[in-house]
Amino acid sequence: MWRSSLLLTTLGLLLVILGTAGQQDLEEQTRKIASELRCPVCQNLSAADSPSELAQEMRQFIFDQLKQGKSPEQIKGYFISKYGEWVLLAPTPKGFSLLLWILPFAAAGAGIVLVLFLIRRWAKKKKRAAKPVTPAFGEQPETSIPVADKISSEPPPELARSSLREKQVRLSAELEELDFDFDSGRFSEADYKELRKELEDQAVIIHKKLDSLPPPLRNQPATPETGATPSHGATMRSEPASRRNWQLVAGGLFLLLFGITLGVFLSKSLRPRVSESDIMTGDFLTGTGPGGVTGNSGSDTESFLAQGRAAFERRDWPQAIDAFKKTLAIDPNQPEAHSYMGFILAQAGHAEGALLAFDRALMSNPNFAPALWGKGMILYQVKKDFPAARQTLERLVSLMPPGSERDEVQNTVAEMAQLSGKEKQAAKTPPTKGSSVIQGVVSIDPKLKDRVDGQGTLFIIARSAGSSAGPPLAVKRIDQPKFPVAFSLGPENAMIPGTTFSGKVTLSARLDKDGNPTTKEPGNLTGEYKKNPVEVGAEKVNIVLDQIM
Amino acid sequence: MPWRRLLITFLLILPLLWLLAYGFTRDPRYIASPLIGRQAPDFRVLLFDGKELKLEEIRGKIVFVNFWASWCVPCREEARDLEAAWQRLKDKNVVFLGINIQDRQEDATKFLREFNVTYPNGRDLSGRIAIDYGVWGVPETFFIDSSGKITYKHVGTPGAETIMVKVEEAREGLVSAKEGKGSYQSIR
Repeated sequence: MWRSSLLLTTLGLLLVILGTAGQQDLEEQTRKIASELRCPVCQNLSAADSPSELAQEMRQFIFDQLKQGKSPEQIKGYFISKYGEWVLLAPTPKGFSLLLWILPFAAAGAGIVLVLFLIRRWAKKKKRAAKPVTPAFGEQPETSIPVADKISSEPPPELARSSLREKQVRLSAELEELDFDFDSGRFSEADYKELRKELEDQAVIIHKKLDSLPPPLRNQPATPETGATPSHGATMRSEPASRRNWQLVAGGLFLLLFGITLGVFLSKSLRPRVSESDIMTGDFLTGTGPGGVTGNSGSDTESFLAQGRAAFERRDWPQAIDAFKKTLAIDPNQPEAHSYMGFILAQAGHAEGALLAFDRALMSNPNFAPALWGKGMILYQVKKDFPAARQTLERLVSLMPPGSERDEVQNTVAEMAQLSGKEKQAAKTPPTKGSSVIQGVVSIDPKLKDRVDGQGTLFIIARSAGSSAGPPLAVKRIDQPKFPVAFSLGPENAMIPGTTFSGKVTLSARLDKDGNPTTKEPGNLTGEYKKNPVEVGAEKVNIVLDQIM
Repeated sequence: MPWRRLLITFLLILPLLWLLAYGFTRDPRYIASPLIGRQAPDFRVLLFDGKELKLEEIRGKIVFVNFWASWCVPCREEARDLEAAWQRLKDKNVVFLGINIQDRQEDATKFLREFNVTYPNGRDLSGRIAIDYGVWGVPETFFIDSSGKITYKHVGTPGAETIMVKVEEAREGLVSAKEGKGSYQSIR
């Protein structure tokens, strides 16, 4: 009895051990196959090494397929059918991919052949330069120099040419000497003519021989140094060739060192990307390390943006503004730079400027979340324009994935709805006389009614009486107005928060087509209050838009 | 002769420069799909309403398969456009099918409720359907004609107009070899 139970236990253990071994084998195979496949959502990582969810799913799929008895080739074939040859870290040597396998070897082979060819040429030149000059040729008397037909059996053309040129020079010197001697009365005219004819004949022979030689090589010097012996001349000629070879060796060494240096520094400088928009290089080569940028080495928008972000986090406003301005100089529509400028302006108390910056960001990307957030909060907290703020933040909510951040924005929207209700109640109570608010209505001249399409933004602008330039005292912005528009302009609309809104002001209004207060497009409608200037606290101020820009 | 050497050097260097410049024009994350023009892989998916849908069962109709996730911002951007397109096409022998990937059940349900999505949607729990379709980004959309062939693939938000045009092309069995591209996010 105990024997049979022992046998059963042993068998069970054996099965467990075999099962574990099989499992380990499958896992090993899975890893091997995954290591040959590229992770589709990573950069140069195999599916075996990647921690991504997709790579995990791929590994699980490979494991399941192996379990079902599929071969590694079948599994790889499956992935190729879904993601293409791209999915293989080492592409199969077929078709166009074959080039990837052949080219490196072909290039290496061509390089070796080139080096061998150069060495051979170098050795040949050296040998030729070292070869002694035939004494018979160098020592032959000028008169007995045979005509061109002897040259073929004589030294190489370069040596022959230099030797002949030396003789040419010598003959020319002898002729000059002869003239000098004749002039000084050393020779009779008959002797002089005879000697001169002899020298000229020699010169003609040399000239003919020179003409019969093949044209000179490109790198050969045009004339050898005068007075040099033939063997010395040969040494001189071998110098440029050897110098060139040294140049080649030096150039090769330089390239090798450059490659090694680049490889070492580049590999040290690279770092993993920290976000989708992050660039891949970093540290000392580009000055864009993961912790932000300290230097000014970068010249692209991403680099300036990174500098700006880092400065913004440090609350170094001047540097942040400088970096974002540089970004906008390169790309005037960069929404992130506009948004950051908006946040900087908002914290400095320039609500209008901030709103403008957020609007610019939203013009280039209407779904840019930070700009929606910034605009919404300015409209809510500074402008108290609850409907517009609510509209902006609701748009943001629709774009945000679920999470604590979205909940926070939703809470703000809810808060705003409550406040908006209270505001409406407060609006029903009439304003106290002598308040610091101007109230009135903006209407359209009946002649221009067909120019209004319900779009655009209405700006109601108050300037200190007597000033026509510089920033306005207060501005009210109403998007997509329905005319006639009732308005109230008070201290909350002041361009610089905290400015006293009192005394006499001049009022005007503009229906702006693109909603950008700094640009004035043709077709914008404008109008001024006819009884300007007006005292702050006035009511029933009617502004008529009666002019076209 | 110097000009000959110069010419040879240029002829050697130019192709390398061209190759380098060409490399810079390419999106390193982009993976061209080999599936366009081929038969769409069949799948079975459990829908959010508890029913099960098999691709084979809707053969004969134009099928619009959209892979999405609730954490993907471009998916949120396109959600309203897709629902609007569905409303216009639902009676025209077209089936819209959303496949939610790499997501949590509650987040996906919230997303569908938030954008009032009425076309069928299901979850790819194991990621097998996404791998079968070679998905690497979200949203990714496949247009399948009545014979079950993939006629077009769009990575990123397609836009209402593209949807209408590509559905009509699928109806005629026209295959677009070139993939469409909008704003997308890599899957996790």
